This record gives sequence, C-alpha cells and structure tokens, in this order.
Amino acid sequence: MPEPESELSSREVEHVARLARLGITPEEVLRYRDQLRNILHHIEALNRADTSKVPATAHPLAERNVMREDRREQCLPAEAALRNAPSREGAYFKVKAIQE
Amino acid sequence: MRLFQRTIRDLHQMLIDREISSVELTESVMDQIQNVGDRTKAYLLVTNELALRQARAADDRLRSKRDVRPLTGIPIALKDVLCVKDVASTAGSKILKGFTPPYSATVVERLEAEGAVFLGKTNCDEFAMGSSNENSGYWPVHNPWALDRVPGGSSGGSAAAVASGEAICALGSDTGGSIRQPAALTGIVGFKPTYGRVSRYGLIAFASSLDQIGPMTRDVADSAVLLQAIAGHDPRDSTSSSNPVPDYLASLREGVKGMRLGVPKEYFVAGMEPAVEQSIRDAIRLLEQQGAAIEEVSLPHSDVALPAYYIIAPAEASSNLARYDGTRYGFQAGGGHNLIEEYMATRQQGFGAEVKRRIMLGTYALSSGYYDAYYLQAQKVRTLIIEDFQQAFTKVDALLGATSPTVAFPLGAKTQDPVAMYLNDIITIPANLGNVCGISVPCGLADGLPIGLQVIAPGFREDTALRVAYAFETATEFHKASSPLMGAAA
Amino acid sequence: MSVATRYEVVVGLEVHAQVLTESKMFCGCSTDYLTAPPNANTCPVCLGLPGSLPVINRRAVEATIRTALALNCEIPEFSKFDRKNYFYPDLPKGYQISQYDLPFSRHGHLDFDVKGEPHRCGITRVHLEEDTGKLLHEGAIHESQASLVNFNRAGVPLMEIVSEPDLRSADEAREYVMRLRAILQYIGVNNGDMESGQLRCDANVSLRPAGQSELGTKVEIKNMNSFRAIHRAIEYEVERQTEVLDGGGRLTQETRGWNDARGLTISQRTKEFAEDYRYFPEPDLPPLDVSRMWVDEIRASLPELPAARRERFITTYGLTPYDASLLTSTRPMAQFFEETVRLGAPAKTSANWILGDFSRLLNADLREIQDASVKPAHLQELIALIDSGVISGKMAKQTFEAMYRASDPAPALAEAKGLSQISGDAELAGLVDQVIAENAKSVADFKAGKAQALKFLIGQAMKLSKGRANPQRLDALLREKIS
Repeated sequence: MPEPESELSSREVEHVARLARLGITPEEVLRYRDQLRNILHHIEALNRADTSKVPATAHPLAERNVMREDRREQCLPAEAALRNAPSREGAYFKVKAIQE
Repeated sequence: MRLFQRTIRDLHQMLIDREISSVELTESVMDQIQNVGDRTKAYLLVTNELALRQARAADDRLRSKRDVRPLTGIPIALKDVLCVKDVASTAGSKILKGFTPPYSATVVERLEAEGAVFLGKTNCDEFAMGSSNENSGYWPVHNPWALDRVPGGSSGGSAAAVASGEAICALGSDTGGSIRQPAALTGIVGFKPTYGRVSRYGLIAFASSLDQIGPMTRDVADSAVLLQAIAGHDPRDSTSSSNPVPDYLASLREGVKGMRLGVPKEYFVAGMEPAVEQSIRDAIRLLEQQGAAIEEVSLPHSDVALPAYYIIAPAEASSNLARYDGTRYGFQAGGGHNLIEEYMATRQQGFGAEVKRRIMLGTYALSSGYYDAYYLQAQKVRTLIIEDFQQAFTKVDALLGATSPTVAFPLGAKTQDPVAMYLNDIITIPANLGNVCGISVPCGLADGLPIGLQVIAPGFREDTALRVAYAFETATEFHKASSPLMGAAA
Repeated sequence: MSVATRYEVVVGLEVHAQVLTESKMFCGCSTDYLTAPPNANTCPVCLGLPGSLPVINRRAVEATIRTALALNCEIPEFSKFDRKNYFYPDLPKGYQISQYDLPFSRHGHLDFDVKGEPHRCGITRVHLEEDTGKLLHEGAIHESQASLVNFNRAGVPLMEIVSEPDLRSADEAREYVMRLRAILQYIGVNNGDMESGQLRCDANVSLRPAGQSELGTKVEIKNMNSFRAIHRAIEYEVERQTEVLDGGGRLTQETRGWNDARGLTISQRTKEFAEDYRYFPEPDLPPLDVSRMWVDEIRASLPELPAARRERFITTYGLTPYDASLLTSTRPMAQFFEETVRLGAPAKTSANWILGDFSRLLNADLREIQDASVKPAHLQELIALIDSGVISGKMAKQTFEAMYRASDPAPALAEAKGLSQISGDAELAGLVDQVIAENAKSVADFKAGKAQALKFLIGQAMKLSKGRANPQRLDALLREKIS
C-alpha cells in the first residue's frame, strides 16, 4: 500500500481522468482530489487484514468451464443495431476522426 | 381496502376468483401513481399503454383459465437498470437518455411469460451507485413515510413505489445493499438473492461480481412468489448458478423453532441510532420467544468489508461504464474537434459526480502500480469475508442484524460527504461480498420512520432466509403498517 | 564488416489468427463478416449494449488448445480470461476480453527450414481473445473528419501467437510465418488468408552489437499483409536501424507501419499519453479447468502435422527431403499426392508432376490445388497413359495443360487416349523413308559410325509426326533401314 505521505496528487487525478476519458475542469480536479483522498484514507483499512494466507476471489461461484456450442443464432437486424446511434451514415456508426 | 394496497397473493386469489380483472387492478394502481406520483417521484417512466395491453392479455388467460400463474395480471414496477425491449432505459443516468434497448432482460422475459403487467421504470441512483436515490441523473425520490426524507438507494424508486401503492411489487438490484437498505427505509420487504441465483442478462451492469436482481414486496410470502418467478440458471449469463431452484413457498411456514440464529456482534456499528438498535434487539428477542436459539457470533473481518467493496465495485464499474462513449447509443456531447474530445465531453456531461468519483477510484485501483495494493488486496479480503460467513454458518442457520444503522435521513443531509453516504451500507455490504443471501423485513418504527431487520442465510439457502423472515413477520404487525401516502385519499 | 557480423538482428513475431468457427467468440452471431452487409451480424453482446453478457465459444477454446499442441506448447491446468481496458471506436465495450497472466498455453516451439537448414523458434504463448470491429475512414485518411464503424467483425475469435525473439533475419521470419500458416491450415483452425486480415502479423525488430546479450531498442512493425511484405519490411527496418546506430544515433521504442507502396516503415505518431490496460480477471466469465483428459481428446483429434508427414513421405515414398517438404507445404497438396499414389500412380512420377507442371500452372493463376479441376484420378490416369506408352511425355505435357484449363479434364484425357502414339511399323515406315530421303548426309554420317546422327534422324521424324511417333520404334526401324 502506498505510504500515507504519498497522497493522491492532482497530477494523478488528471492522469486517471484521462485514462477514463472523463473531461474534467481544473476546479473539479481539486475537488475530486480531496474527495478521493478522503475515500482512500478510509480504504487504507484494507491493510489491517492479514491476507498472507488466502487467495484472491476473482469469481465467487464454484462454476467452471461455462461454455456454449459453436452455433449461429439469430442476431439483430442492422436497423435495430443502429437504432440508438447518435450519429450514423447509412448502415454504419459514424464517429469523429481519431487523430493518429 | 383499496386494490393497490393489497399483496400479490391476495390479488392472485381475487383474480382467479374473477372478483376483479387485471385491467381493474392495473387502473387502480395507475390511479394511485397519478395521485401520489408527483410527491414521491418514484417513476422515471410510466408505461400506461404497455401495462393495459398486458393487463388485457392477462385477463384473457384468467378468463380462459389457460396458463394462469402466480403473477398473471399482477402490476409490477421495474428498476430502470432492467432492459425492457423497446422501452426507454436510462439506469438513472443522463448518458443513456433516449436509449431504447432492442432486447429484454431474462428476468423481464420470465415475468412476461408469467403474464405480469409492467407499470413502468422506476427511478434509481445513477448506475445503481448510491444509498439515497439522490444521485439520480433526473430527480431524487421522496420517501412515502416522510416526503422530506430519502427512500434509500439505489433502488429508491422501486421501494417508494411499493411503499406508496404505486406498484404491487417491484424488482430492484442490490450490489452493496441497494434492495435491502431502501426496503428498510420504506418499511417493505427487500430480498438480495445469492450472487448467481438470478440471471444478470439485461441488467445494466454496475459491479459484475456483486450485482443481483431481487424482489421488493409488501410481505415475505410475496417475496417468495416473485423470487420463484425470476430465479434459475440462464445460459446467457455465464455467472448464473445451475443450483436447482427449490419451491420457496414450501418451507415458508416451518417457523424458527429449533433453529440456531446468530447475532454478529460487529453489526452493532458505531453510529447506529439507538431506536434502531433497540428495535433490532427486540426483534431478536421475539425470535427467541418463537423457539430459536440465539447466540452471539463474530464475523471478524466485517470492518474491512466496506473498504474492500469500495475498491472492487468501483474497479468493475470503471470498466463496465467504459462503453458509454456516445458512439453507439445514448447521449453524445457533440462539438468536439476529434474523437478524444468527444469522449471526454460526452462522459463529463453525461455522468454525475458520484459516478465520476467511482470511475476514477476504480481506474486508480486497477492502474499500473496500484493493482496489487488495492484490487488484489480487496479480492483477498473478500476471501476472508466469505470464510467468516462459512465459519459462522457451521454454528448457526442464519444471522440477524440491522439492515441500516439509521432510519431514513433528510434529503441533502449526506450529499456533501461521500464517505458518510457510503456508511449507510456498512451492514449490507458484507452479504454481497460473502456469497450469501439477505432479506430485510420491517421490524418497527422510530418517530414514524421504518426500521428493517436483516436476515442473512448461507449461499443458495434463500428458503432459510424466507422462513426466518416469515416467522418474524407473522409474529408481528409491522408489515401491516402503511406509509401515509398509501392511505392517502385521491 | 557487413551488417550481419556487426549487429545481430533480433526479431520476434506476433501473429493474430482468426479461428474458423461458425459463431463469434462470445455470442451466436455469424463470423461471416467479409461478405455480410455492414452491422448485419451483430447482437447486444458484440455491440456492447448495456446489460449484455459474454458466453465462451467452446470450439474456439478447443481450436486454441489444438494450435498450442501443434506448436508443442505446455497447456496449464487452469486458465481464465481478463479484461484489457482501453478506448477505441472499434472496441464496443471499451475493453477487450483477452487473456493476460494465465493464457491457455505457453513455452512451445516451431521448427522450420531456411534454405534447407533447420531452425527452431520458441513460442512464448498462444492465447485467445476477441477481434474488434472495423473502421472505414471517410475520404483520405489524413483529411477525414469522420470514421465509419462496422461491428460485424467485433467478437470474432482471435488467437494470438507470440514468438520468442529467436528469429535472426528477414528470411527466418518469413519461413516462420509460412510454416506457422501451414500448420494452422493443416489443423483447420485458420484459412491462412493474410490479405483479408484473417491472419495478421506484427514484428518486433531490434539490433544489438554482435556478442552483446542485452537486447537493443525494440521497434514494432505493423501492417505487413503478405509474406513478401514481412520480408521486405524487416529488411528495410534492419537497414534503417543500422543506419541510425552506425551514425551514433539512438533508436526510439515505437510502432511503425509498413508502407508497401513506398517500401518503407513510417513512425505512427506516439500517443499523447501512455496507455495503461488495467488488466483484471473477467468477472463475467468463470475460469477454466483444462483437464488432462480434455487435452488428450483434443490431441487425438489432431491430424498428422506437416513435420511428421514430411518424414513419412521420405521413408514411405522414397522422396527427397526437398520434394517431401514442398509436397507437405499445404495439406491439400499432400492429400492430392497421397490420393494419386493410392490410386496406383508411382510416387516419384506423381511428385514430379505435382511439383512441376501442375505447380507452375497453379502459381501462374494464383490458384490453390484443391480449387483446380484436375483431381487425383485424372493425374493418375494420365501417368498411366505415359507408362503404358500410349502417349509420349511431351504429349502428356500438352494434355495436362488442356486438362488444367478445362472445367472438366475428362474430354482432354479421352482425346489423348485417342490421339495415341504412332507405334505401328506400317505407319512408321513412311516416315522413316521420308526422313532417310531428306537427310542423306546424316544417313551417311550414321553409316560412318556417328551415333549422334541417328538421334538427329529420330528428331526429324518426330518433328514430321508432330511428336506422335514412338521414338523407340523409330530407332529400331531406322537402324534396320540404314544398315
């Protein structure tokens, strides 16, 4: 666990917001930073637990090997797929260009 | 007694006796929605035409006595995180404004097969993140018991609707307490089944390893009926359990005589209101009088359940909510110069503050350098919590405690401090992490505000939870108390 | 010193191979995306609609294990899927379901030849994931304001095969990919089509001073759509990196795209900020126990692999290693050969025909052997006609070409049978007389003891008969007449 001194910084908040594609104003950076610091303080309690002898539970259920047969099923007609598209061109979804 | 005040089971009897029709019943509920709806704001969308169409079809079945089932003709409200084909679904968020799913959730399809009647989509905290329904991207919900108070969350709309007569029953979803806590705050029965008991296909996801859909009803028998209709394996949900579904009504009346009931000492948390604590202790004593052996147990890792939850749930949510980018459905900000600007603007404007907080928290917890310390550690703590319950259940059949440490609090009281809001779920969260099921039943009033008793049973022992809850309910009159709005004149 | 001795070239390859299944990796939509109308093969799952959930396609898992076995990999007893989180318009969920730390297989190897020399390249891992949708750019890519997205391909099962950085040249890289492709086709998991993107290859290329153990700066090369492109791109990149290093410069760790038209690699603009995939176990999918029994079942279903088949061709049919290699380079060719032999044709002759005239014609048309109209029975019959002396070798070549070009080879074969060699002495007598009459000098030369002269006379007779005369009979008759 990161030391308490290394508190969540504004830079980290900006970085995380960017990773999550969340637009964020400078004022919001500070506000969220403080709120997240507070939350992380409480989360530090996680360290109290001795987890040295237990595995992580990534999947709560005992089920394994849940698979389906390779069979074609009915899919959506293109119109249904496109029905909710905010922006489209013919049978395509339309998005702004990525600047490569 | 007005039709909208009755239980599923009573109404079912009246329907098959042809005392009433489903259309009459549906209209009765719709009238109540008209009457009190602008006070509770429980619904985001009322589906009048659909409801009446289904009611008429139900009446056909009832008339010809063909394929009549326990929920045939019964009006039900659906939390707006459940997809109903061709009906707008927002998950309480502006980012899904205008989205109409081209498919229905499995539970919705099962209810349709039952012949249930869909009244509409109920309000909820945005993407099910919240404990007061104040995080709804649209408007908050008001508690039918006191309109200046919260109904709890995130299934606040479903809870308020059942408590105010705006629905006979409802479906909610529970990730950290979102069915049980609002049920406690609005004086109804709310049941979180074991993870995997009910299919999540078509449930707009918040935290994939924690979310469960469950019934919100006026009493325990109704809860059993509704659970029966929706439980069971679904090949479209790889995390749904293939454990057979028992007959939940069969063991309902067995009583608690001879049962061993545990009281986790950790569940009497600091900050619990005295009236709530008193009510719970009274409830425990009552069950003892009914013949149960009560013993104190310990779930030693209870204090790390909240921190673990606030890593796991936001982490999974940060990933589940990445799809909301304005390209295939929902809100699109427009005006960006390029794609990244578009994403940023859409998600900035479309998501509320709590959702953004959790996305950032989750992203942080999963990010390079922090994964081991946060996410992995939380998943290990989860194992400890699962083991705590397993240990306890070698000694007792079920656990008793409060559902919420407080009664309904005023709107706006906790919105300034996220952590204060999170603490509402401190007694409900362990059951989500622990692979067990939990039900909340009304067990008293404090200053006219409901209190809920939580019964926790082992994984896939919903029958046990129902049995204990039923025994308590029938020995008391709390479930008969109605919110002021329920009895309100037109 | 040449490049080869100053620097060691280190190449690792990452091959993405779509799995030949009916339906997608996590839903029942058709995988037939190349011909379907845009967005016609989609559903809530592969569109990433709210509330949708994935379900694993068993056949895709088995195909991955098959591939891993064919590449001599270890198959651990436990595996799972993970989420790889990033944003891109062709990625509907905002994450790709892939495998991170517990893939289906690891630690394998692939043996291949370069100019007859055997090589072995390590395989780091073979894992399974889902493919993304496709982006079309409106207008020219650099000017376009918008992109169009088609999700038909989103969710198609994709194997990622990662090699160790054991390859040391463009030649080795090309041979590795060719052999890998052959194996994938052999076991029926992929059709080998690089042009359409069903098989894709990225390369990691670095140089290090000869003798140094530490790896140099790695450059990733993308957009190589053929064996030739792989070869050219790696050669170009080696040259480019050499120039930089020789000039005292430093290389940037970056991704470069191969531009086939211009014959060079171009730096793709480095992203503004580093991506962090935040891998975590996929909570919507239970993990997998890969039992030894299941693996054995899959192993038993594997066909004979190219290497084993090659050995068998050498020992059973007495073919040269070179011929055996070529014949087993694709499963259809190997099968064609074996069937021809099974029908009675001699092995060596069959091999010669397949690797000679047949391959020449196929290559000119860019056609695969299984798509030719000529079938093993046709070839076997043709060979039988030659062996029985009904037609000459030269005629057979013409006949074969006619058979190949026709949609039905049978008539050409029949004609050849009808147009038999002229072997009858009576018929040949006239020819012999004519040749003797027209070539007095050669006749005199032969009488004088020049054996060569007879060959000349036979040749003339062949010319006159348009190749139909039986050379052996001509030989005998000429000798008789002249002496």
